[in-house]
Amino acid sequence: MANDVKNLRVVSFFLQQRLVIILFLLVVAMFVAGEFVSKGFLTSYGHICSVLRSASFLGIVSIGQTIVILTGGFDLSVGPLVTMGNVFACMLIKGINSNTPWALAIIIFLGAMFGFFNGLGVAYLKIPSLVMTLAIGTLVTGITLLLSRGAPTGLASPILRYVGVGSLLGLFPVIILIWIMSSAFFIFLLQATTFGRKIYYIGANEKAAFLSGVKVNFVKILAFTISGAGATSTGALMAGYTHDAFFGIGDNYILWSIAAVVIGGTSLAGGKGGYVGTIAGAIILVLLESLLTVMRIPEAGRRIANGLIILALISIYFMGERKRT
Amino acid sequence: MIERQRDLRLYIPVYSIFIAIYVFAGILEPTFFTWRNNANLFTRITPLILAGMAQSFVLLSGGIDLSIGAIIGLSSAIAVSLPFVDTPLNVIMWVLIPPLLGLSLGLINGVIIAKGGFNPLVVTLATGAIWTGVTLFIMPVPGGSVSLSIARTIPGTIFEVIPTPLVIFLVFVFICHFILRRTEFGRSIYAIGGNESIAYESGIPCTRVKISVYGMSGLLAAFAGMFLSAWMFCADALIGKPYVLNSIAVAVIAGTALEGGRGGVAGIIGGAYILLLISNILNLLAISSFYQFIARGLVLILALSLTSSGATLDIRGILVRYFLPRRSTTGEIGN
Repeated sequence: MANDVKNLRVVSFFLQQRLVIILFLLVVAMFVAGEFVSKGFLTSYGHICSVLRSASFLGIVSIGQTIVILTGGFDLSVGPLVTMGNVFACMLIKGINSNTPWALAIIIFLGAMFGFFNGLGVAYLKIPSLVMTLAIGTLVTGITLLLSRGAPTGLASPILRYVGVGSLLGLFPVIILIWIMSSAFFIFLLQATTFGRKIYYIGANEKAAFLSGVKVNFVKILAFTISGAGATSTGALMAGYTHDAFFGIGDNYILWSIAAVVIGGTSLAGGKGGYVGTIAGAIILVLLESLLTVMRIPEAGRRIANGLIILALISIYFMGERKRT
Repeated sequence: MIERQRDLRLYIPVYSIFIAIYVFAGILEPTFFTWRNNANLFTRITPLILAGMAQSFVLLSGGIDLSIGAIIGLSSAIAVSLPFVDTPLNVIMWVLIPPLLGLSLGLINGVIIAKGGFNPLVVTLATGAIWTGVTLFIMPVPGGSVSLSIARTIPGTIFEVIPTPLVIFLVFVFICHFILRRTEFGRSIYAIGGNESIAYESGIPCTRVKISVYGMSGLLAAFAGMFLSAWMFCADALIGKPYVLNSIAVAVIAGTALEGGRGGVAGIIGGAYILLLISNILNLLAISSFYQFIARGLVLILALSLTSSGATLDIRGILVRYFLPRRSTTGEIGN
């Protein structure tokens, strides 16, 4: 009897997590498919690491995006903020190790500050997050251009280089370890703390959350602040990966981060989903890019493939739970 | 009557900001009021107005369309790929084919969203990526050409006086306003955006209306793309990219609520002007383009805080109260 209950629990756990399981199966399937196209796609440890390394940048940006989307908003300022973090990191560090800590502190503070402004506008001025973050994003682009005088200068320091491209013991890429640790922290935050539960409540029903005593505005502002800080620190980490700064670096992250969250099964209406799916979403997006590259598909075909895979995935998700309209 | 007052509450903030910026620009730089600068503005603003109205239709029904940029790119690429020798047949083809294409692409969006019950943001993001891919297949590098009579007429003048773009956008805004306010289709859009289940219970064919709304959006986006190709004399697959987010910004500044059911297109001219004038002013003042981003962001935030409703710090409410008699509060019911 007790065994049955246990089995039932296991079955229901898998049913609840079926989406995440499907996603990780898809990741494996894509790796296997890649192996057929080009030898070493799956079997080469170096290639797997390089895919995961690219995915970790997207993954860290998507932490904040996941939290914001769970509260029922969007953050379109992540792209400009990634660029800002990237450009400022190189500009402030100038390739010197001892500059790194305070430069990173300034960069994270700036991201948190602009995220805070996003939150203020969304919570207190009731501006839709889609346009509020768009406006702040424009502002951030302007400030980045102005302070760097339109031409990024400087270099990443050796220690930042080590974080971006180095490996611990020559085996575990540091950036992936950072991603794993921050993922674990934020999954814990979302699933096991009152702050995390409040985020879900607000996304599910803001009015009810407010009436139950949740400080809706405070939680929303904090969500946007986390997202902003995450975006600029990703930009700084990317400086370690690319060695120097580049203005267009964050452009793709606006829609990619949203796509990773959506592919990961988080509802855009808010209140449903989580970061585990987003991890799979980020890996799938990067893996698809890598797969299409080894298949020598031109830019046009890549866009079409990206669009088709998103359509295919959402039609699988909503097959069972279509709402009556 | 109530509707008229509601419109006033929506459009007074937009147009007062527009007039303020416009006059400010004229004081800073006297050449701003010249006919030439204004004619130039009419040309630059038309695609923004068309894209903004395309977005407004969708937003009013409670959806969102991120594929507008892709449809603009595809329709302009198709428009310049058509034979450009100046014959009546070619002109007719130019006038008919891109809009029909835009309409059908929009209808595809609509069918996926309405029949499938999927989130419009994701669907249009995905279909937009697909159509941009198709456009890049057709036109990997910017190029093409349009027939001479079109290239002369569209950005030019009628009877040597009236700028054609002015006529184009006024006609389009009038038609769209009429559709929204005076037709059954328009009323159903508001009903669905306000509360879809109630609209469904009241016998409104929700699926059909939603599909048509996306078709309408695709059609208007295609017109924007055609205008761009006639103006630029060529096309670029990625030309529509900035219009995706700008169209949302314009629609929201013009008073349309992102959650649907509230707003309209009568404020769209003011909304588009607010967005465009900022860079025009800074250009006239010869200020570095870096500041343009900052000014644009700040003015956008200001305009949004004035036009968004229900804020804790209700600047718009104060403004409206100042301009309108108090009994207009009844206008909020059933919004």
